[in-house]
Amino acid sequence: MAPAGPRSGDAIFANVERVNAELFTLTYGATVRQLLTDLEEVEEVNKQLDQMGYNIGIRLIDEFLAKSNVARCVDFKETAEMIAKVGFKMFLGVTATVTNWDANDTCCSIMLEDNPLVDFVELPDTCQGLYYCNILSGVIRGALEMVSMKTEVTWLRDVLRGDDAYEMQVKLLKQVPEEYPYKDDE
Amino acid sequence: MIVCVAVVGHQNNPLYIQSFTEEDDALKLHHIVHCSLDVVDERVNNPKKSGPTLNETFLGLLYPTENYKVYGYLTNTKVKFILVTTDLDVRDADVRNFFRRFHAAYVDAVSNPFHVPGKKITSKTFAERVSTIVKSFGLSSAG
Repeated sequence: MAPAGPRSGDAIFANVERVNAELFTLTYGATVRQLLTDLEEVEEVNKQLDQMGYNIGIRLIDEFLAKSNVARCVDFKETAEMIAKVGFKMFLGVTATVTNWDANDTCCSIMLEDNPLVDFVELPDTCQGLYYCNILSGVIRGALEMVSMKTEVTWLRDVLRGDDAYEMQVKLLKQVPEEYPYKDDE
Repeated sequence: MIVCVAVVGHQNNPLYIQSFTEEDDALKLHHIVHCSLDVVDERVNNPKKSGPTLNETFLGLLYPTENYKVYGYLTNTKVKFILVTTDLDVRDADVRNFFRRFHAAYVDAVSNPFHVPGKKITSKTFAERVSTIVKSFGLSSAG
C-alpha cells in the first residue's frame, strides 16, 4: 500500500517559479557576509542563520504541503525521505539522501550531494567556526516543528570546513500531539 | 613556458601576482608586469582606428623584451590580466584561450562572498586553478 503523492519533487520543481541560481547564491552570500559584519561573532552568526532558517521553515512548510500534495507521513522515516526527495528538490533543485538511521529510527543523516548555496564560497581563516549553510538546518527544524515534530538539526560534515560531503543530522526529540491551545473564553 | 601571471585592479593596484619560475626572479617579473601597465594605458587611450575595438578585451602582445613576451587582457571593469611568457613563438589563439579561462577563474573568485572587491585575491582555489591553467598552457602549445 504505497502512500499517494509524489516520490520525487521533479514534477513540482518543474512547475514552481524559480530564480537564477547565481542570483540566489550571491544573495545568500551577501546576507551571510552582512551578518558577519553586523554581529562580529561567528557563533552569533550561526545562531542568527539558524533563527532565520527557522522563520523561513515555519512558513515554507505550508507552501510545501499546498503544492506537493503529499499524503500524511506514517513515521519519521518517511518524513525524512520526503524532505530529502521532495522538499530539497522542490525548493533547492537538488536531491538529498537519507542514511545512518539509528536503532530507534529517530535519528538520521541527510546528505547533500550538491549544495547550491556554496558555489564560489571559500571560508576565510577568520571564519573557520562558521556553519555557512546553517540556514538549511533551521528551515528543517522550523518546518518539522509546524507539523508537530520537535527536532534538533546539526551539521556533521561540511565541505567548506574540509570534509568530503554535506551531512546534517536530524534527531527527533519528541512528537508533540496536536493540541488546540485556544480557550473558549479568549 | 609561462613565467608570471598577474591580476591588476582598475586603479593599477595589484590584486594577484604569481610567478612560476624556479629561480628567485620574482622582483624582475613584477617589474615587467608593472611596466606593462603603461602600455595597457597607452592602448586604451589611443585605440586603433580600424577593426572592431569595442568590447575587445584581448589587448594582444604588449611588448617583447629580450627574454619575455608580455600579453595583456582588459576586462570591461578595467581589471587587467597580464601574462609573461618565455616562449618566443606563441599562437594568438592559445593566449586568447588562456585569458578566457583565466577570466572565468577570476570571475568565480570574486563571486566568493568573502572576497572584498578591490582587495587582493587570497583564495587558495583560485591559486590552484590558475596554476592548472598555466600548466595546461604549456601542454596545448607543445601539442
